Amino acid sequence: MDSNEVMIKIESLTKSFGRIKALDNLNLEIKRGELLGIIGPNGAGKTTAIRMACCILKPDFGDIIINGYSIHYDPIKIKSMIGYLPEEPNLYERFKAKDLLKYFAELYGVPNKDIDGRIDELLELVGMTERRDDRINTFSKGLRQRISVARALIHDPDIIILDEPTMGLDPATANSIRTFIMKMKGKKTMILCTHYMEEADSLCDRVAILNKGRIIDVGTPRYLKSKIHGDVILKVKIQKSVDLVNFQKKIMQFSSVGAVDFVDGEFLISLKHRNEISDIVDLFNNEIISINTKEPTLEDVFINTVR
Amino acid sequence: MMIFFLQLSVLFLMIIIFNSFITNIESDQGISLTPVLNGFASVDVQDQSGLISKYINPSVINVIPSNFSTSLNNIALGKTTGFLYVPGNAAEKIRTGQSIDMIVYLDSSDPKSSVVRDEVNSTAKVISQSYSNSLSASATPQNTTIPTINQVSTGEPLPLQIIKKVMLVILLFLPLLLFGNIIIDSVVGEKERKTAEILIAMPLSQAQIIIGKSMAVALTISLQVFMWLIILLIAGFNINNPLFVFIFIFLTSIPIIGITTVVAAYSKNYKEAGIGLSIVYIGIVGFLIVPVLFYISRKSFLSNISPMTIVMRLFSGESISLPDYALALICILVVSIISYWIAIKLFERDDIIFGPRPGILRLIFDLITFKKF
Ligand SMILES: Nc1ncnc2c1ncn2[C@@H]1O[C@H](COP(=O)(O)OP(=O)(O)OP(=O)(O)O)[C@@H](O)[C@H]1O
Ligand SMILES: [Mg+2]
Repeated sequence: MDSNEVMIKIESLTKSFGRIKALDNLNLEIKRGELLGIIGPNGAGKTTAIRMACCILKPDFGDIIINGYSIHYDPIKIKSMIGYLPEEPNLYERFKAKDLLKYFAELYGVPNKDIDGRIDELLELVGMTERRDDRINTFSKGLRQRISVARALIHDPDIIILDEPTMGLDPATANSIRTFIMKMKGKKTMILCTHYMEEADSLCDRVAILNKGRIIDVGTPRYLKSKIHGDVILKVKIQKSVDLVNFQKKIMQFSSVGAVDFVDGEFLISLKHRNEISDIVDLFNNEIISINTKEPTLEDVFINTVR
Repeated sequence: MMIFFLQLSVLFLMIIIFNSFITNIESDQGISLTPVLNGFASVDVQDQSGLISKYINPSVINVIPSNFSTSLNNIALGKTTGFLYVPGNAAEKIRTGQSIDMIVYLDSSDPKSSVVRDEVNSTAKVISQSYSNSLSASATPQNTTIPTINQVSTGEPLPLQIIKKVMLVILLFLPLLLFGNIIIDSVVGEKERKTAEILIAMPLSQAQIIIGKSMAVALTISLQVFMWLIILLIAGFNINNPLFVFIFIFLTSIPIIGITTVVAAYSKNYKEAGIGLSIVYIGIVGFLIVPVLFYISRKSFLSNISPMTIVMRLFSGESISLPDYALALICILVVSIISYWIAIKLFERDDIIFGPRPGILRLIFDLITFKKF
């Protein structure tokens, strides 16, 4: 198996809903076994893009080629390769957990002899074994989400597409899902949409930043972080009385400074290196309330790029 | 609330159609008041004396001069409702105070025969009235006589028989109209509960989904109709050919499910679907019942376009010709193909399922320009 083989190829994908242009000429390639994260503000078009890959929506223009099949001509082949976890875990309420999984297993064509084993395995994975005989309508949101994850994986798909899988889950459950994603990493081709930057940072091979239907940037988390002006962010909290504009001008004169922001009574100074930190701190004298440094996170990248 | 009233109006419509029909048939004098019934029935008359032509109410019955053998032929062909024989010397006989015998031949299976019978009876009364008046005026002591009528008829008395038939045929078809909500639940429910996404993400084509859902409903309906048929049989209704009756009702359910699925596929939510369905069902009920009523008053070939007519004829034990069957079956087939095709095409459109939903005019435009269809 060629690990550089392109599994999913998105070409000029464009989609409008009435007047709203949800996706605008999107191009992206995902390799076999890769875990691609998609981040972006609300309404950026993440869900729309994902739904088109799952052949739920049809593009106005463009195509997605998955494992050699086009969403226009072979939607059924594509659908059978994908395990899709929708944004909202809506399930058939009247089913019992295990019956729901059985129902989907049958519709996805899982061989009869494998069904029971597969269901047990998945219930174990999402920690729902004791609730297998309870009805979906008795489950809380998080429990539904867990069953939804199991449902999405029922046919052991090659491609797993997860739209905000940990949204609204307690930290422990969210972590168990992340652990599961980690386990699958490399074995399956995965797309993960998320609003949790640490999640994208720690899990994904590459991250695409989507805004207003366009890809702003795509690359490894490390690459994206390095792109925002430097390696370190200096946070200086100061007293209210100071002359902000004057301070900002002075800070900008240092050669290591990439950008200066003032947020909530705090200067955020992006530095290319640490050499001048003490000189910059001296500038503030006794106006300082607190001071610390931090590495840039994907969140900084997000806030910087999606403005 | 809205849905409730709309559904009520469907029932009302049925009751009104049914009622006006029955009152027209049953009433003694009311018939001539209803303009619809002008020339409602025709009677062949052999009457040299001219008695009948003079006294019969022309707004109800067309009098056609004829003779015994051609007339019986016409009755058999359904061209005329009955044959009235008045003896040639009737006028003379009455004048001399003798009683006369008029004979009416009627086809009992023809619902209009009751009208003719009533009309002839009342005409006879009018005649006797006027003659007894003229007799007493001439002051000749004679015994006045009323012309007596011998009715020659076969079969069950009418119009009770018709009422029963129409009632039974409506009862038989009732289950077909009670299943709309199941279809709505299985199609609109996917949208309302937002499960359409996982449904469509499954490796099934939209056609498979629609056909699968419809078949599940059709199966339920067939079971229901079957039980219903047995209940009616046990209740003592006289149903000939129950197997064919069952098959025809079941076949009729297929296009009705198709049409319902179209409404469900287009509707955003239960409320809309309910309103849409009530409107569509008025049409369906009309399409089924009107030909039945038409068939009762005029045995025309086209009335067989409604499977309800066929079913009524089946359980009445009538023999039905092949073209009559064919007409009903073709109608079922054509409506089925068109409705399922539209339902599938609608379901294939993501804008209809996930929005923003296009208007009906927009869809028709897309349809005729072959865009997205
Ligand atoms: N069915 C629809 N009808 C109308 N507009 C829609 C529809 N689906 C999506 N949109 C619009 O398309 C845009 C992209 O929506 P999308 O759901 O893809 O965003 P998203 O990136 O998933 O956002 P979020 O982070 O909130 O989940 C939004 O402006 C949204 O309002
Ligand atoms: Mg989304």
